[in-house]
Amino acid sequence: MKKILLTFGIAAILISGCKKDLTLYPYNQVETTQAFNTEADVALAVNGMYAGLRTSTSYWVSGTFNILPDVLADNLVLNPLGRLSLKQPFYEWRYTGESTSGLFTSGYNIARRANAIMENIGKLPTTTATNNARGEALAIRALIYFDMTRLYSKTYTNATDADLTIPYVTTTDPTITPAKESLKGVYDKIIADLTTAEGLINTSNGVGRLNKVSVAGLLSRVYLYKGDNANTIAAATRALGATPSIGSLTTFPQIWTDATETGVLFKIKNTSVDNINAQGVNYYQVTGGLKKSEYVVDYTFFQLFASNDIRKTVYTETSLYAGTNMNHVIKYVGRAGQPAGVVDGKVLRSAEVLLNRMEAEYYTNPTAALADLVLLKTNRYTGYVAEVLAGPALLAEIQKQRRLEMAFEGDRFFDLKRLNLPVQRDAVHGQNADGTGTPPVFSSLPLGDKRFLLPYPQSELNFNTNLKQNPGY
Amino acid sequence: MFFAFSAMAQDRTITGTVTSSDDKAAIPGVSVFVTGTKIATQTAANGTFTISVPASATSLTFRFIGFATKTVTLAGKTNISVALDGDAESLSEVVVTGYQTVARKDLVGNVSTIQSKEVSQKPSMTLPQLLQGKATGLQVTGASGRPGATAYIKIRGVGSLGAGTDPLILLDGVQINSSAYSSLNPNDIEDISILKDASSTSIYGSRAANGVIVIKTKLGKPGSEPILQYSFQYGKSETQDLKNVTLMTAAEKLQYEYELEYTNANLIANGIKDITALTPAARQSAWDNLISKGAGDWSKYLLQKGTVRSHEVSLTGADSKIRYFLSLNSTDNDGTEILSFFNRKGGRLNVEYQAKDWFKMGTNIGLTTSKERQVREPFNTQNLYASVFLYNPYEPVLNPDGSYNITNVGFSSIEGSTNNPVTIDRINSYGTLYAEGKFLKHLTIRSQAAVNYNLFKYQSYLKPGSNLAVLLGYNQKNDQGNQDFFYTLTNTANWNQTFGGKHNINILAGQEFSRDNIYSYSLTGRNFPTASVETLENASTPTVASTSISEYALESYFGAANYNYDGKYYLSGSLRRDGSSRFGANNKYANFWSVGARWNILKEKFINVNWLNELAIRGSVGTTGNNNIGNYTNLGTYALNVKYNDLPAAAPFVLPNPDLTWETSTQYDGSITFAVLDSRLSGEFGYYSRDTKNLLYPVNVSATTGFTSYQGNIGSMNNKGIEASLTGVVFKNADWNISLMANISTVKNKITSLYADDQPATASGGIGRFKIGEAANTYFLVKWAGINPANGKNQFYNKDGSITETYSSSQAQILSGKSPIPTHYGTFGADVRYKDFDLSARFYYTGGNYIMNYMDQVNASDGENVNNNQYTSAFDYWKKPGDLVRYANPLDGSQNTTYDTDKYLEKGNYLSLRDVTVGYTLPIKYAKYIKSRGVRVFFQATNLALWTKFRGIPEVGEANRETTVFAGTYNLYGYPPIKSYNFGIDVRF
Repeated sequence: MKKILLTFGIAAILISGCKKDLTLYPYNQVETTQAFNTEADVALAVNGMYAGLRTSTSYWVSGTFNILPDVLADNLVLNPLGRLSLKQPFYEWRYTGESTSGLFTSGYNIARRANAIMENIGKLPTTTATNNARGEALAIRALIYFDMTRLYSKTYTNATDADLTIPYVTTTDPTITPAKESLKGVYDKIIADLTTAEGLINTSNGVGRLNKVSVAGLLSRVYLYKGDNANTIAAATRALGATPSIGSLTTFPQIWTDATETGVLFKIKNTSVDNINAQGVNYYQVTGGLKKSEYVVDYTFFQLFASNDIRKTVYTETSLYAGTNMNHVIKYVGRAGQPAGVVDGKVLRSAEVLLNRMEAEYYTNPTAALADLVLLKTNRYTGYVAEVLAGPALLAEIQKQRRLEMAFEGDRFFDLKRLNLPVQRDAVHGQNADGTGTPPVFSSLPLGDKRFLLPYPQSELNFNTNLKQNPGY
Repeated sequence: MFFAFSAMAQDRTITGTVTSSDDKAAIPGVSVFVTGTKIATQTAANGTFTISVPASATSLTFRFIGFATKTVTLAGKTNISVALDGDAESLSEVVVTGYQTVARKDLVGNVSTIQSKEVSQKPSMTLPQLLQGKATGLQVTGASGRPGATAYIKIRGVGSLGAGTDPLILLDGVQINSSAYSSLNPNDIEDISILKDASSTSIYGSRAANGVIVIKTKLGKPGSEPILQYSFQYGKSETQDLKNVTLMTAAEKLQYEYELEYTNANLIANGIKDITALTPAARQSAWDNLISKGAGDWSKYLLQKGTVRSHEVSLTGADSKIRYFLSLNSTDNDGTEILSFFNRKGGRLNVEYQAKDWFKMGTNIGLTTSKERQVREPFNTQNLYASVFLYNPYEPVLNPDGSYNITNVGFSSIEGSTNNPVTIDRINSYGTLYAEGKFLKHLTIRSQAAVNYNLFKYQSYLKPGSNLAVLLGYNQKNDQGNQDFFYTLTNTANWNQTFGGKHNINILAGQEFSRDNIYSYSLTGRNFPTASVETLENASTPTVASTSISEYALESYFGAANYNYDGKYYLSGSLRRDGSSRFGANNKYANFWSVGARWNILKEKFINVNWLNELAIRGSVGTTGNNNIGNYTNLGTYALNVKYNDLPAAAPFVLPNPDLTWETSTQYDGSITFAVLDSRLSGEFGYYSRDTKNLLYPVNVSATTGFTSYQGNIGSMNNKGIEASLTGVVFKNADWNISLMANISTVKNKITSLYADDQPATASGGIGRFKIGEAANTYFLVKWAGINPANGKNQFYNKDGSITETYSSSQAQILSGKSPIPTHYGTFGADVRYKDFDLSARFYYTGGNYIMNYMDQVNASDGENVNNNQYTSAFDYWKKPGDLVRYANPLDGSQNTTYDTDKYLEKGNYLSLRDVTVGYTLPIKYAKYIKSRGVRVFFQATNLALWTKFRGIPEVGEANRETTVFAGTYNLYGYPPIKSYNFGIDVRF
């Protein structure tokens, strides 16, 4: 009997020790169905949308978007003593369907964050807060889709009704395999979404999030690409207000070390805890106290920076590397007292909006265009005396100022595309400040070249056979 | 009866000694019977015995586990010394399967075993080394040559695509993971059973689809006196040689650069702007200047001779109530890359107490602690091994100021490895507590609680003042780690009965519950005052403090029944029901089953041939499953561990899949075993086929959804093959014993269905696919069509077969029949014993797989990588029309781009002289002068020679430690495999 009791006793103890619970939940996630129960939940999802912009390894803070459109264009020349980053495939325009999946995938990843908010927010009563969230989601989606159209397709003014671009996905349905959409139709959707967003969004979200002013600024960008001058001017004026604040000779340098928010309409926050130095590393790393640049300023372009142009010293630095002076790009040097290259990602500045407006005004109201140009130059050139320009000279100066102001900020390639201009790099001069060194092996991209349109990722085409590759790839 | 028996006995006494024919050591505990009677005794600790035998006795029978039973004729002698032959495949051998133990002759399943004798004869530092080449159907590929590295252990091919290919490994009844098994001391192992077929694995249900390895640790043999053993090993190792390729010397590299009109940074620093503008004499002098300062062979500075030093003491023994085993061991292993090491110390205590004749209890407790220094392995400038290939031989090691030269790649991996140390500390503990009662005559009930508790601590320090800290603008320390608490409770009841002398029945029923909890943390701080302090309290800027928890539970019920008729016909079946927390609400539970049969043909009366010693045929069919996926992947979730602007945030994390279900395998298998000519020739032939359905793998979705995939079930796959092994004693006399062995296993892997045909394999690094009819991860690349002899340009095949000079990724195609999965592998070798000397040699071969040779692509480019050192094969480039060469014209700028094509896809076939061991065992008659029970010394060499056509080293496990791809898909400067030379001595007292 003792034997039986002992045996079963031990078995009983062990069996009773089993808590047979097979339904286990993660400690750092919430089920999607429970993710939008309150306004506080929505606020989390909105923050998550901005976090997506920061963590994407293709776009602003963690990615290459502050250099890629410059590398693709004529602002930079490769330093052969650097790490040769982006040389292949982008600098040499050798991209294939295997080169662009990051830009595609993370663009839609950000859009999904916005789509999920819009799909779920209807569960909650409409309030200022939900309207604000809806406005931010609409605008972020429009922003990212617009950048994707700039990468993968023609610009509006150069397109016909038959030209296509990325699918404008507005759902979180995981089963979709969408085809390309009409480019012009997508522009209209972007404009419609931004317009709705402008009406819903708060004015007081700060520059670390989109707000009423920055959405208007984005609209001016899209209208400019569309060639809609009146709306470009109207939207830009809503963004700039009566007295545009684009950063003075004193405050302009502080924009780049995040010491001021003057002149910034929207930026992706990169805190010292986030500590992402990719924007700086895209241009150079310091080794042995010297700047080891991946790319330095194209020799011919560098000559456009006048000596009294404050941007010359804010954007560039001529210093030694490997015994030779080079013109390094120091726009992303980073915040004072923090690791090199750690800085917020500037997505939209009022100077760009002003440039959008003056270009549109050139065609409709050249006097106003000149006034805006003088305003810009007053704040960029020391000892600047207001000049009088008209006709093609005025347009040329506006476009030159755009190139100088937006240099190394991810604008140039798109700008050339928009203006229907070829890429023509300095084919004679190399990486050194005196023009010696290795000139680019590939120095021009002629008008109409297929490579103005980046190829869609092969991995997506393989799976989603409704999406067709751009011509020529 | 008893009195009569006693009365007629005891008319003479026989004495003698029993030793092992192998090592001449005395064997205690051997059962000595008067043949045909129940009169018996056991040998004492020194192997001696004394037995009184009746006058009618004509012979004695000696029987002991692990040795062939021997019968010796008395023929009037009163002193008999017997040497028993060790017999790995002896019929009396006992095999641990399922939740019980079975005699090999009664085994219905297909199980290979490794006995402790093999463990001690063939010293190995880790369990994977011990397993390699030991059984058909078992393939072990080292992940890399890093000390302490894990291995890819595969049983009968790739059992799963996305849910792990490692078998279930059970140590004294508890599941252990790969980090835990690599820190296990092989010498603590009594035996290992490798369970391959359904009838032996199905009882483990959902974890057994990749086979099961059951490890039992040592325990003193009943009746043996305490044996104290000391073992010492010392060995040296070095990186395996590159095959079929050679790195350029300084002079060759400079010549190559000159031909490519490339002026390197060192020349520029010496004021030479263009090497092609110099006169031959000036050029030579510039070169000589560089060569005189250059490092030459960088491996002298980046690699080293590895060292292994190990000590071990063990005590084993038993008396009538207690059996025990105690061991302590310490191993220090310096790797072949500088600074890397893996040091391990451990101990084990196993005790079993027979409290009553019907009740026993026991415990197995093992504890291991290890300290490891790792060097970085990503494919970037921090990788030491890559530096051997990328640093130019004319570049100096040190700058004139004594600092490390950052070379053409811009970073010194030596400096980085020195000043940015990565250390890993582990404590692994394994504990099993059990009690077993024989509660009725036929019923045994056993309860067991087993725990595997692992602590892992990873520290990475970016020291103040290190190059990387300067480059990044901050110094930083990261501490991360986890505690992994896993327990299993098992209760079994076993009914064992024989009816009518011939009907043997064995029924098992059981219940089991497992739960795992992993708590992990990551802490980071910056701004250390000085490099000499490294704890985070010294960091003035704490930056990251994060913890997480992950849990998993498994609940199971199982049963098995075995029946045999007179040891002739066997029938067995098993059932298991598993519930797992990892699956969707609709599929939490699954059932697994098997049936098997065996026929011992030799037992039939109609077989009456005396040259046949064993003939049996067996087969089985059954199912197993796989739940080896991440926790919580069935739920659609938002991640909350996200922030923006230092505020909390939430982001879409996983797409939901409530239908996520078990991956299940159905295996058919059959084999025939035989032994002939006094068992001098024995072997086994088998066939298996395993269908795996509902393969767990990421299901692709359009990237326009914001995701690229979700965890799902993508299709089905088949693995089939044959397994054959032969062992033969070709010569045998008193002094000599020469035997040969060979085995071969084949695997044919094939995808049989998919949710959508022709899908990218996400774990293939973009170069592999799943296609119905092809092996999993079949390569998907653009085909290279050689160099156009007319203009020196690369040519590629379009999918339609036409040839183009323009590379287009859209022309990539399935390369039918080429996958990273080996189709055959095996081992052959010889064992020779001459008197007290023994020699064993093993060759290992594998092949049929393909490897994307990225190292060849980097080191023999079309001029793209002229700044890095290159293989001499890069000289084979196009110079003039008509050249038939491997490389394009490097002076043609359009050709300076390297594309992924099948140009770099190579066969992975190789043959390796894996192991040669020469040993000497001191005869007991001499050993006893030093009061020893046995002394053995040995020399061992591993990987002495390798034959292959592959460019580089064909033994590719992981690409490198920091790149996750399907094993063997490509190489990318991972820690190189080694060859080693070891000396060892074992002394027993």
